Amino acid sequence: MITLGLQDQNTFLEAVNKKSGANVLECYQCGKCVSTCPVSGYMDFPPREIMQMIKLGLKEETMMANSMWFCLTCSACSGRCPREIDIPAVMEAIRHLAIEENYRSDNKKVKEIRKFHDIFLDMVKRYGRNYELRMMAEFNIRTRNLFKDMHLAPKALLKGKITIGHESTKSAKAIQKMYKLAGKLEKGEK
Amino acid sequence: MARVGVFVCFCGANIADFIDVPAVVEEAKKVKEVKVSVLYKYMCSDPGQQMIRDAIIQNRLTSVVVAACSPRMHEKTFRKALSDAGMNPYLLEVANIREHSSWVHQKDKKAATEKANDLIRMAIAKSIANEQLHEISVPVTKRALVIGGGIAGIQAALDIADARIPVTLVEKSPSIGGRMAQLDETFPTLDCSQCILTPKMVDVASHPYIELIPYAEVIELDGYVGNYKAKIKKKASYVNFDTCTGCGACTQKCPVKVPNEFNMNIDKRKAIYTPFPQAVPNKPVIDAEHCTMLLKGKCGICAKVCEKGSIDYKMVDEVIEREIGAVVVATGYDLWDPKPYEEYGVGRYKDIITSLEFERMVSASGPTNGVPLRPSDGKVPKNVVFIKCIGSRDEAKGIEYCSKICCMYTAKHAILLHHKVHDSHAYIFYMDIRAAGKGYEEFVKRAQVETAATYLRGRVSKIYKKGDKLMVRGEDAQIGQVVEVEADLVVLATAVIAPHENPALARLLGISYDKYGYLSEAHPKLRPVETAKAGIFLAGCTQAPKDIPDTVAQASACAAKVCGLFAGDTLKKDPMISTISNEFCSGCLNCVKVCPYQAIVTEEIPLGHGSKELRTVAKINEGVCQGCGSCVAICRSMAISLAGFTDPQIINEIVAI
Repeated sequence: MITLGLQDQNTFLEAVNKKSGANVLECYQCGKCVSTCPVSGYMDFPPREIMQMIKLGLKEETMMANSMWFCLTCSACSGRCPREIDIPAVMEAIRHLAIEENYRSDNKKVKEIRKFHDIFLDMVKRYGRNYELRMMAEFNIRTRNLFKDMHLAPKALLKGKITIGHESTKSAKAIQKMYKLAGKLEKGEK
Repeated sequence: MARVGVFVCFCGANIADFIDVPAVVEEAKKVKEVKVSVLYKYMCSDPGQQMIRDAIIQNRLTSVVVAACSPRMHEKTFRKALSDAGMNPYLLEVANIREHSSWVHQKDKKAATEKANDLIRMAIAKSIANEQLHEISVPVTKRALVIGGGIAGIQAALDIADARIPVTLVEKSPSIGGRMAQLDETFPTLDCSQCILTPKMVDVASHPYIELIPYAEVIELDGYVGNYKAKIKKKASYVNFDTCTGCGACTQKCPVKVPNEFNMNIDKRKAIYTPFPQAVPNKPVIDAEHCTMLLKGKCGICAKVCEKGSIDYKMVDEVIEREIGAVVVATGYDLWDPKPYEEYGVGRYKDIITSLEFERMVSASGPTNGVPLRPSDGKVPKNVVFIKCIGSRDEAKGIEYCSKICCMYTAKHAILLHHKVHDSHAYIFYMDIRAAGKGYEEFVKRAQVETAATYLRGRVSKIYKKGDKLMVRGEDAQIGQVVEVEADLVVLATAVIAPHENPALARLLGISYDKYGYLSEAHPKLRPVETAKAGIFLAGCTQAPKDIPDTVAQASACAAKVCGLFAGDTLKKDPMISTISNEFCSGCLNCVKVCPYQAIVTEEIPLGHGSKELRTVAKINEGVCQGCGSCVAICRSMAISLAGFTDPQIINEIVAI
């Protein structure tokens, strides 16, 4: 049972709206996003329900959901939304809020996805671009699943999808600067 | 010797594809009275009609049979063709070989053709016995009676009067204005209700063609279309309206306080009162049920303070009569009493109110000066829960239908709440959001997005008290979970119901009403304004729940109908009505009982030639009779005959099969 009216339910809603630039109140619960989304079947709360939960100010439930982590930001939903709501931006916003406010889901898949994001950003920070082989290796080590997708490695190597040794980027330094700046901005914002 | 012309229509492929039309034409020629039998692709077209006109003149026809579509479709067309050729139009017979044969027997051409032959033979036989009939002229009294002075009655009266037709407007309460006068703002534009209504009320009072009779009821209606006679009971107001200036000294000094029904009993009025400050006419009346002077003969303060001496405690009800030609019924609606919702604690919890109570509270001229207050402690509420469909769409406790206006006024209430109490939050429990109308969906969006009202899809299951809050429990089907709202105030959108006086009024007027008490229109789609009784029209919620734009549109439609009815000096009526032969009438009066139009009256005639003794016989009122034939069927002594469907005509038809 959910109790409403105890406190101002608009605080969470306003935070999401501000961060995403979308207006969740516009949602009239038609569900077109749910039937459009390729991964809504894997989400515990499909996009329409996430929108309603934000409206009702159900912060805990929203933050602990797996939906925003499963979202591919493919924008199929927002492309078809009759109220033109930027749903991927809303998903992005609640991802950010979850990280900022340290909400950690016990869901194994969510944990993996978050690790994947962390490693990817780390790769870009270090090399100025993604270094696929190392990323795969690090992901497998950190998720304690050493041989995951290993059988794909020879084929990927042959096709040049992954390379041994990283390719350097001319602008790696510039990208590192961007990271620093973003970090400062984020702190300033807080 | 009868000379009949038969004209068979192909109706494009509608008839020709399923009936062997040439064979039918040949078959008709076998009847010896038939002098012409022809076919044509579209008989209703101008060349087709010309064919009929030419044939009538060339062959000196005495009757015409058109075998085509339903007479409902083109009987008038062909009658006119007969008139144009100098023939009495009632010598026409239509054999309906489309709806009655080709359309329903598409799989069997042979049978369809045979049936068409039968239908045509019957029509020929009947037409031979047809007599010349002439339209009946009925005189018209050009005055309309409008019953009910809400926005429907006001609009109808003004539109009719603007056409320079006198109108008598009867209103049961002391002022016109009706429900709309109680509203604060109106959806979807948030126009102030009073600002758009009161000028119209003043127009009614000052219009030279409108006779306004407030505080009165229609108690009798006799007669028929164009010639009604209405008896109107003017309730004793104990105030002489002719001398009263409406200064208000009496209402100020009156010591008796009574719950104020205009403000939904939220505050009190006096025993001598005007319903609201903008009342029209702005004259007080004495509430005889509560006035101590009238009840006990003591007090008399109002008479003492009245400088004009307008108070008259001896006044009695007065009955006046008006001759009128048409009636517009606009008695409005009532609201359903939510008492059966015991699971909500209706009656137990003071902070559960109805939408109209909320409306009065948010009204700038209302009892709380425009601020909603909790009835229990007078505090301004923060969390307000609105529950829709209270009684509506509830077969167990209320009524089956949708009240139509609640979705919109609840959205309006959410917006108004936000306007009046800025830090409030509206929660709306709903089953569906029905916002069909110009600007309506946009208005609901305004409530949802701008006002940030929380819409929760589900019916509330129960309300219980927790401290000074009300806990409202329902499902939010959008997330499939049970939610509870901690509310300061709960507003119930109670169902619109027909006024409880409607059935009695319907019987008095001789019109029909449905199982809910709404007055019935003649046809749900094509005649939504007329009743089955000629000259009586319906405007507004008395026919079905509707919002202000629809009500005003229907009221103006009524006015157009009344003006159309009064356009000539006499009314033309179809001559196909019943006549009663006095010689055969036994006076059993069964016909009176079966007549759905109350068209049969009784008459006293001498028992025999020159006799002084009298006997009772039935008599048809030509103006009222619609020619349905019920009386013909019930008459034991075969005294009644229906023009156009006389016994010889029917017998001819039967013999021809």
